[in-house]
Amino acid sequence: MPIIAASHLVKRYPRPDKPGTTFAAVDDVSLQIEAGEIYGILGPNGAGKTTTLEMLEGLCDIDEGHAEVAGIDVSRDPYGVKALIGVQLQANEYFDHLSLIDLLRLFAGLYRPRRTDPAQLLALVNLQDKAKAHPASLSGGQLQRFSIACALVNEPKVLFLDEPTTGLDPQAKRKLWELVRRLNGEGTTIVLTTHNMEEAETLCQRIAIMAHGRIVAEDTPQQLILNHAAEPPSAPLHGNIEDVFLALTGHGLRD
Amino acid sequence: MKAPGPVLHLAVALLRMFIKDRQAIFIGLLFPIIFLSALGFLRDRPPEGVEIGIVNHANSEAAASLQKILEDNALFEVSVDSEQVLRSRLEEGEATLVLIIPESFDDVASATELRVLVDAAQARLLDLILPTLRQALLEVEHTLRGSEPLFSLHIEDVQARTQRYLDFLLPGILAFTLMQISIAGSGFNLVEYRRKGVLKRLFVTPIRPAEFIASLCIARLVWCLLQLTMLLLFATWALDVQILGSYAALYLVIVLGTVLFLCLGFCVGSVAKTEAAVGAVGNLVIFPQMFLSGVFYPIEAMPDAIQPFANLLPLSYVSTSLREIASNGLALTDILPSLLGVLVWIAVSFGLATWLFDWKKVVTT
Repeated sequence: MPIIAASHLVKRYPRPDKPGTTFAAVDDVSLQIEAGEIYGILGPNGAGKTTTLEMLEGLCDIDEGHAEVAGIDVSRDPYGVKALIGVQLQANEYFDHLSLIDLLRLFAGLYRPRRTDPAQLLALVNLQDKAKAHPASLSGGQLQRFSIACALVNEPKVLFLDEPTTGLDPQAKRKLWELVRRLNGEGTTIVLTTHNMEEAETLCQRIAIMAHGRIVAEDTPQQLILNHAAEPPSAPLHGNIEDVFLALTGHGLRD
Repeated sequence: MKAPGPVLHLAVALLRMFIKDRQAIFIGLLFPIIFLSALGFLRDRPPEGVEIGIVNHANSEAAASLQKILEDNALFEVSVDSEQVLRSRLEEGEATLVLIIPESFDDVASATELRVLVDAAQARLLDLILPTLRQALLEVEHTLRGSEPLFSLHIEDVQARTQRYLDFLLPGILAFTLMQISIAGSGFNLVEYRRKGVLKRLFVTPIRPAEFIASLCIARLVWCLLQLTMLLLFATWALDVQILGSYAALYLVIVLGTVLFLCLGFCVGSVAKTEAAVGAVGNLVIFPQMFLSGVFYPIEAMPDAIQPFANLLPLSYVSTSLREIASNGLALTDILPSLLGVLVWIAVSFGLATWLFDWKKVVTT
């Protein structure tokens, strides 16, 4: 049984240019994610990746469709879902005046029962030396690792990561992948969004490619390359996921 | 030990943040202390005597007794000198009036005229001095004629305690400070956390918006009580302000007032979308009340046309209640109308806040 099952999700927002009308940021998205998977949602900016995650996380209302996380209906019991999942948001902002260890304690205290030891979590993401530091003093990579630590305070069954490596240098990126693989190895299901091809290809076991609010392809990276890369089919795995991406989502620039 | 629930847990964390925010402490505590000290010092200084000069040409007993009456008057600082010297002091603006006692002062047989040199520009002061001067002359006249005055005034101080301006000011400053802390605390925090995305991070966890609001209110309430207690300690110890009523009643009104302004703060935070807008809308709520609600001077001292409106302001009810308890020693049962005003405002602002407040907008964007 899949740990996440979503069918025909739709999210509409008012059009800023035409008042009174709406557009679908997410348009009929269905997906199933197995427990223990690393599942990537790949897509250009504005494809609806973040909105899809937020609907699964219970952060925004599902306008149409149905989603279940670990057997719990997200619309009916968003707080029940939130208790079981860990979420890393794209923006990393925290309360002022609190150190990393203070912030972890704060977030940990919002879950019942309280599970983890903040100091251990900091060690897990290799920030044990920064316990008394404030988020503002961290580098980009450290900040991302810290935000993952925050998402782990309740030992979540599913960890959602929204563009976890955007803006990181190659070293920091690889460190983060290591961490994600390690968490996955310990049994955490991971759902991440990215527009980094390498990340999707090497980290994720399955990928959904989104464009204009819809999933245009979903498969393992190898299978996607076989099916969609613009290389002769006689030369399997000659292309890469970037070729697939461009073939499926078009070559035009996105805002 | 059982771990505290999420609401208390978050409230404690928020309180720790407030305590670490030195700037807020500075504004929240030092400002009222400076206000109290400076205004109290300015207003409560004993009035300096008005300097008057006496040129005494008569060497009589009557002239001496007139001089003594004037010298004994606390209102005056008397200097005796030649007309020439005193006239120049008057011209320099140091003396307000020069009284010239002629040689013939103790002559009972004929009316004597005393010359008074004045600076007409100081009309207001002269209005105060001249009656006293006449009174002094009348006294001397009675002594000279050996007659008893038909009527006399016996002045009795019925006020058991001298009400200083500080006694009046402290409750006003308490009310004003709690308004500022509460409005800024709820409205500003709300918009700040929303804009920075901190709220979104918070609502990723299973905490409910109502629980967050409850935490914020608890933290701000405790914070407000701490700050006002420090202010009270400072005022009673360092400035010797007396609290006549019961502290329990005083604190009850402080709690009610804080709840009132927290609700108003949430109204402000719901209307305003940015921190700058909160500042503007907040000032719109704070400033008129600062001057119209009897914080620095009594509402009765304001123009009649404004008074009915001023009396209805939420801060007026809070400052009046606090003042009746602190400086007039009244019990809660004596100030029911003001208390009722506070309660009505709580109901109104709570209703308004829940109506204006959009949970969804807190979570998204």
